[in-house]
Amino acid sequence: MTISQTALNSSEHRPHISRRELLKGSAVAVVAVGAAAVPSVYAAIEQPVPDTSNDRLYKGKVIDCHAHLTHRSRATWEADDRKLIEAADKLGIDQLCCSILTPRKPATADGFQECNRWTAEGMRRFPGRVLGYCYVNPGYGREALEEIHRCIEERGFIGIKLYNEYTCTEPVVFPIVELAIEMGVPILHHASHSHYFVEDQPRMSDGGHLAELARRYPEAMLICAHISGGGDWEWTIKALRHAPNVLLDTSGSVTDEGTVEMAATVVGVDRLLFGCDSSMTAGVGKIRGANLNAKDKEKILSGNMMRLFLRRKS
Amino acid sequence: MIIDVNAYLGHFAFRRLRHNTAASLLALMDAKKINKAVVSSAGAITYRNAQTGNEDIAHEVRGHSDRLIPFAVINPFYAGWQDDLKICHEELGMKGLRIYPKWHNYQLSSPCCRELVNAATERGMVISIPIRVEDNRQRSWLLNIPDVPLEEIVELVKACPKARFILLNGIGYTGCPLGRKDNGLPSNYTIELSRLSAVLANELGQLITNLGAERVMFGTGMPFNYPDPALVKLEVLDASEADKEKVRSRNAMTWLRL
Repeated sequence: MTISQTALNSSEHRPHISRRELLKGSAVAVVAVGAAAVPSVYAAIEQPVPDTSNDRLYKGKVIDCHAHLTHRSRATWEADDRKLIEAADKLGIDQLCCSILTPRKPATADGFQECNRWTAEGMRRFPGRVLGYCYVNPGYGREALEEIHRCIEERGFIGIKLYNEYTCTEPVVFPIVELAIEMGVPILHHASHSHYFVEDQPRMSDGGHLAELARRYPEAMLICAHISGGGDWEWTIKALRHAPNVLLDTSGSVTDEGTVEMAATVVGVDRLLFGCDSSMTAGVGKIRGANLNAKDKEKILSGNMMRLFLRRKS
Repeated sequence: MIIDVNAYLGHFAFRRLRHNTAASLLALMDAKKINKAVVSSAGAITYRNAQTGNEDIAHEVRGHSDRLIPFAVINPFYAGWQDDLKICHEELGMKGLRIYPKWHNYQLSSPCCRELVNAATERGMVISIPIRVEDNRQRSWLLNIPDVPLEEIVELVKACPKARFILLNGIGYTGCPLGRKDNGLPSNYTIELSRLSAVLANELGQLITNLGAERVMFGTGMPFNYPDPALVKLEVLDASEADKEKVRSRNAMTWLRL
C-alpha cells in the first residue's frame, strides 16, 4: 500500500463524537448539502445525502493536519501518545499528522533525527492513525536533506515540519523547499504574527514571510501553522490572501468567533486545513461552529489535505 | 437546560464582534440550544466610564429577561462607582458584576476593590472575574494587558470569604491552590470551563474530581468565542449525568438564584 493510499483509507474505530457532529449547528449546511457532487479524489468521504437532517450530513474522514507526539524526554510520553489517540477517538478525528520537536531549540541533527525515529515508531504503534511529518533544522544542510529523503522515501512520512530555527525567507531554507517540491510533499511551517517582538523566537516566520516564500516557489505546498494560536489571525489571513500555494491550518488554542469564516472568505475554503495542535476541543469546536456549508467543511476536515497527499511524486 | 455564565453584548474596542446584539445572540443561543446567558458589556471593558456600557446592556436585554441575565462592569477607581452599583442593582436588575482589574489598572488587593467586593456581596451580587479578555499574543500595539494572576485570586477569595466569585476565561487552576483538593480556601468561587482542557490534560475532569462538580460552570465567552468548543467539552466530559447537569445549569441556577 502506498503512503497516499494509507492516508486516504479510514481506520476502524468508534469516536465518541461522530463526524456528523462536527458539522452540527451549521444552518447553511442543510441548504447547501445537495448542491454539488463530491469530487472523486475524496474517495474516503461518503457522498452526503441530499435533503436530509443534520444527522446525516457527513460521514467522511477527518484529518488533523497539525499534531504532535510526545518527546521521550517526558516520562509519560507513551501514555501521553495514547491519550492523544483516545482524544482523537472521542472527537471523531481519524488521522493525525504528527511531528515530534526537540524540547531545546535550535534542534541539532542528532536531535531531529531522534525525533523522526520516534515519529516513525509512532506510525507503527498507531497504524493508519498517525501520519508523520519529518522535522528538520535547515541549518544542518546536507544532514537535513538526507533526513528528509529517509523519512519521506523509506519511512512513508507525508511532509516536512519546519519550526523557528530560521525565518522561512532565509536562503538556508530554500534547499528544503526545493526538495519538498521535487518530492511533492507539503511543508508545515510554524508561524505567528504579533504586534511586538517575540524575544524567545527571534526568527519566527509569519504569514507575510510565507507569502514571500510562496512567490519565490509557486510550486511549493506550504502550510501556515495555527492561525488560531499565532497572534493576530486577521493580519495573517490578510497577509496570505495573494499566496495561492499557502494553505492555512486552523489549529491553536484561540477560539475567536468568525476566524474560520474570515479565512474562508479571504483565501477560500480550498486553502483551509483542519488542525488542533493539541488544542483538541478548540480545533473541533471551531470547525463545528463555523457558518460554512457541509461541502466546504468536508474540504477543510480532510479533502484539502488529501488533495495535498495526492500530489506526492514518489 | 444550558446556562452560559460567560457571554457579552456590544462592541469590543479591538475586534469586530458578530452576534453581539440581544437578538443575534439569542439566535445563536437558539442554534446551539443554550437557554440562558449571563451578559455584560464588551464596550465597558475599555470605556473610561463603564456605566454607559451597563446602561447599553440594560437597554439591550429589555424584553429578554427570561434568557439574558445582565451583569454590571464596575471600575472601583472611577468616580461615582457606588452610585453606579446601586443603579445597576436596584434599577437595572443586575444580579452580579464583572470586574477587570488589569484592564482598569488596579490591584485586587487594593482597598477600593475590596470595598466594591464587599458592597456587591452585601447586595447578594455575584462577582465574576475574567482572567483574560483575549489571547495576549494577538494584542493591539496600543496595549499590553496581562492575565489576572491566579495567585491574586487566591488572596482575594481568602480575604473575602462571604463574597461569591465566578472565575472566567482561566486555565491552570490545578497548578495552584484554586484547583487543588483540600486547598484550605473557602468554597466561595466557581470556575467556568471555556478555556479548560477536556481531553489530554483534562483539567476540567481534574477540577471536578478535586473540587466537586458543584464548583464548575458552563460558559462559552460568546460572541468573542465560538460557543461550540465549550459545548464539545460538555459532550466529551466523563462524568455522571447528575454532575453534568450541575455544570450545565444547576450550579448557575443556584448561584444566580434563578
